[in-house]
Amino acid sequence: MFSELFLPVLMVIFMLVVGGYAVAVLDRLVASALGTPQAGGIWLAPMARGAWLLTQHANATEAPDWRAWRLAPALYLALAASGLAVVPWSASLVATDLITSVVLWGSVEALATVVIFLHGWSANSLLALIGGYRYVALGLSYILISMFVLIGVALPAESLQFTQVVASQEGLWNVIRQPLGLPLFLIVGLGMTFWGPLNLADSTDLAGGTASEISGPPRLVWDMARAAMLVAFSGVAATAFLGGWLGPWLPGPLWMSLKMLAVLSVLLLLGRLLPRLAPERCVTLMWVVLLPLSFIDLVWAGAVALWE
Amino acid sequence: MESMNHGLGVDIAFLLLAALAVVTGWRVFRTDSMVRASFFLLVSFIAVGVIMILLAAEYLGVAMFFMMAVEMTVMALFMVMFMMNPAGLNPMNMVHQERIAIGAGVAGFLVLGAMALLAAFPDQPVPAGLEPVRSLGNEMLGDSMLIFESAGLVLLTTMIGVVVLSSHRGRYGAAAEGSMPPGLEPGSDPAGKPEEDEEGEHHHHHHHH
Amino acid sequence: MAVNRLHKLASRGSVPVFPVLGKQGDGVLRHLALSPQIELVDSPRYASVLLVAGEIPADRFEPLRRVHDQLPYPFTTLWFRSEPWPHLERVARIDDLDDLPGALVTVHRELMEGRRDSAHRLLPDKPPNPWEGEGDFGQGGEGMMGGVPYGRPMAMNMADDIRDGLTLDSLTFRLGPFFFALPPGMAAEITLQGDLVQTWKTQLAPYPQPLDKVFFDARERPVPIAEVELARARHHLHRLFHALHLAGLENVSLRTLRLAHGLSTSSTLDGLRRALSRSGFFRLTAGGGALGPEQARMIGGPAARAAGMDDDLRSEDAGYRRLGFSPVYQAEGDTHARWRQLLDEIDQSLHLARLAERDKIHTERAGSVETPRGPWSERRPADASALFDELLPGLEWGDALATVASLDVAALADQPVGARPSGESRAVGGGTGSDV
Repeated sequence: MFSELFLPVLMVIFMLVVGGYAVAVLDRLVASALGTPQAGGIWLAPMARGAWLLTQHANATEAPDWRAWRLAPALYLALAASGLAVVPWSASLVATDLITSVVLWGSVEALATVVIFLHGWSANSLLALIGGYRYVALGLSYILISMFVLIGVALPAESLQFTQVVASQEGLWNVIRQPLGLPLFLIVGLGMTFWGPLNLADSTDLAGGTASEISGPPRLVWDMARAAMLVAFSGVAATAFLGGWLGPWLPGPLWMSLKMLAVLSVLLLLGRLLPRLAPERCVTLMWVVLLPLSFIDLVWAGAVALWE
Repeated sequence: MESMNHGLGVDIAFLLLAALAVVTGWRVFRTDSMVRASFFLLVSFIAVGVIMILLAAEYLGVAMFFMMAVEMTVMALFMVMFMMNPAGLNPMNMVHQERIAIGAGVAGFLVLGAMALLAAFPDQPVPAGLEPVRSLGNEMLGDSMLIFESAGLVLLTTMIGVVVLSSHRGRYGAAAEGSMPPGLEPGSDPAGKPEEDEEGEHHHHHHHH
Repeated sequence: MAVNRLHKLASRGSVPVFPVLGKQGDGVLRHLALSPQIELVDSPRYASVLLVAGEIPADRFEPLRRVHDQLPYPFTTLWFRSEPWPHLERVARIDDLDDLPGALVTVHRELMEGRRDSAHRLLPDKPPNPWEGEGDFGQGGEGMMGGVPYGRPMAMNMADDIRDGLTLDSLTFRLGPFFFALPPGMAAEITLQGDLVQTWKTQLAPYPQPLDKVFFDARERPVPIAEVELARARHHLHRLFHALHLAGLENVSLRTLRLAHGLSTSSTLDGLRRALSRSGFFRLTAGGGALGPEQARMIGGPAARAAGMDDDLRSEDAGYRRLGFSPVYQAEGDTHARWRQLLDEIDQSLHLARLAERDKIHTERAGSVETPRGPWSERRPADASALFDELLPGLEWGDALATVASLDVAALADQPVGARPSGESRAVGGGTGSDV
């Protein structure tokens, strides 16, 4: 009973906390390396910020949808947790080894659209609502591209299970076998987690977008959920393209952590280096450039799978 | 039921999920906003999806999540955007044609209830070596996989094409610029064309029917 | 105990400050942005300290009250070079810019550690309109909708969409005068369809902006060209700093600000220019907002030159002619062209400043000066914020704000930077002085 039910839950909670903290620290490291001074020590600053948000009151707006507004950050955190639950740390160390874990990740992406829209909509506030609209308008294209790319990695594995996807990379990692896959997936990942250049839902031109009206503990949960989603995404990227736990000398989970950290660093660096894309350019990029590229990636993956 | 080798946890989960599906389904009609109604329906579908996973239909259950998520988002958004309610937060009456709806609901409930009670369901435990995803694919598509995949691609292309064609903005400027609507009869005037056109004078007498 | 420790930890982070800008208040932003202890936030919900910087005109008191009440508890206010309202209790006033970051940190710490009580709401907490819903669903009338449950009508005003024919609900709202992405003091009534600007009515013009004293002197007497040009480059860099924050390029925006602070004739723009073009600022970000010839003439200055005009009062000055000055200009006249123009002008100013410093050249033509905002001969450049009303409809929200950031529309103040507006030091009774 313990190992079946509680161990996976503990594992996911551990990942949520450690992962969220790692993102906060890593992002501050990247920022200070790029010349933005950070106050109060990089290791302590995330905690101080969390403590401040815990002492701050959660504010109200005029006639919001209270239930949805308060639930949305928690639901987003739950989605990040579901994503983390299907990421395998080794052949046996995985919270839920669902045989359709690749499709479950696709559902997490789709449900994230719902939750982000709900978060923006329920505040009954203008800028938050625009943020929600924007995410829905763009989210569909993220989901499509991400699906095609993930079907590509499922082909050589002949399975929709992440553990099988890793096993299929024993000889050659997917990052080499399907060269288009990882770059496409990383760009979509920035969009899906609305981070950096593709942060159009919680952007500065909307004074924080869907999160522009929240404060206190709900904001803390929302920020943690966003960080956890980024961790979950990098876990999926490392599993699908970088061979997951595979690697010489070191134990599997350590390899997995290193690969996730590498993906996270790339994402956070991109987030700090690039300006925010104009939404219209983003739509063009997704539908005109990346979607056809993901078709090519899929055909390539199919051809390689047949040839092997 | 007793012959199946599932634990007590599965039974409890089934009951809770079934209750959730029914309650949220009922809330769809009692709430006062289109967005809330759509997302209550989504919760109801997700509960059903989890029940399907409990029934070892893992692919169908998970597919239910993402299909319904996208579907309900699009539905909620379109209703909010087109139905003249500031973001769907002003309260609205969510039911209409109540008598017909009640009649249809009662009839549907009776038929389904009768089926559940009276039909003889096969008692087939899930075989040990079952691969649900593979067997589902074979069952549903079989040899027609290529046809279905091609049809899916054609549909996607069609959808994108329709959006492109219906947009007022074309690659070379406004799409309607210089275009003429077709006539109502072969060879007749363009339909719905404003009269104060450059050629309006010339066509004037045709407009009296 | 645990709660105490939580508060102690909370007091050690950076101080989230929401700035409300009064007249001559925007210099504060540029000072605070470089203090690592201070985090300037864009939404009042994110702040723990409300900083009122500069004198707030009486017609913006009501919006200030509303912004004040949007800060979540616990919060406090600090007034910088501005007289706190007498009915506020225990409010700090600071006048020295160098003391400001320290004072902000102190009030935040005191607030976190419980040594200072939170400020109180100024307005009653009730909806702006009474609840008028009726019926089972509160829809307030016959049919599915109808009635005005929140005192507001349903958005039935479906104007034709000006972009792609997809007619959506339109949403009318008022933004400003303390929204961070608008020029300080400006407010507008905006109608959006989706995130497309349908109409834009500027309701409050931005505050007149003060310029460096050297531009005022240049109208009276010859001044060193090096000084004028450095002040011009600094003004442009400050504007670029705000735009880069809006574009989400936090690191480069701070770099711009640091360059502006340490600007001298030996500064170069090359590094910043490289960083900008490498990041894709000119290709990826929101843009649009091309000015027509008439509009360009109306606003004048760098924005007009970005639209292809080569009017520049400096061409008529013998001192500048000796330095080989000829105006730079662009063709497109849109947001990205304006930023390219601005970078070129900064480059040119630094170049002119270097030459002029070496040869000790002064301006020779008194009575008129080309300010960074535009030509100032008989009349000061006037407010051009009405331009937005015709320029912004049809743009997406991001493009509209990028356009606003790229246009310097505020009128020129009649006093240079640093001059205290008259009557500011008047005594106000009630013991509301500084207590930090």
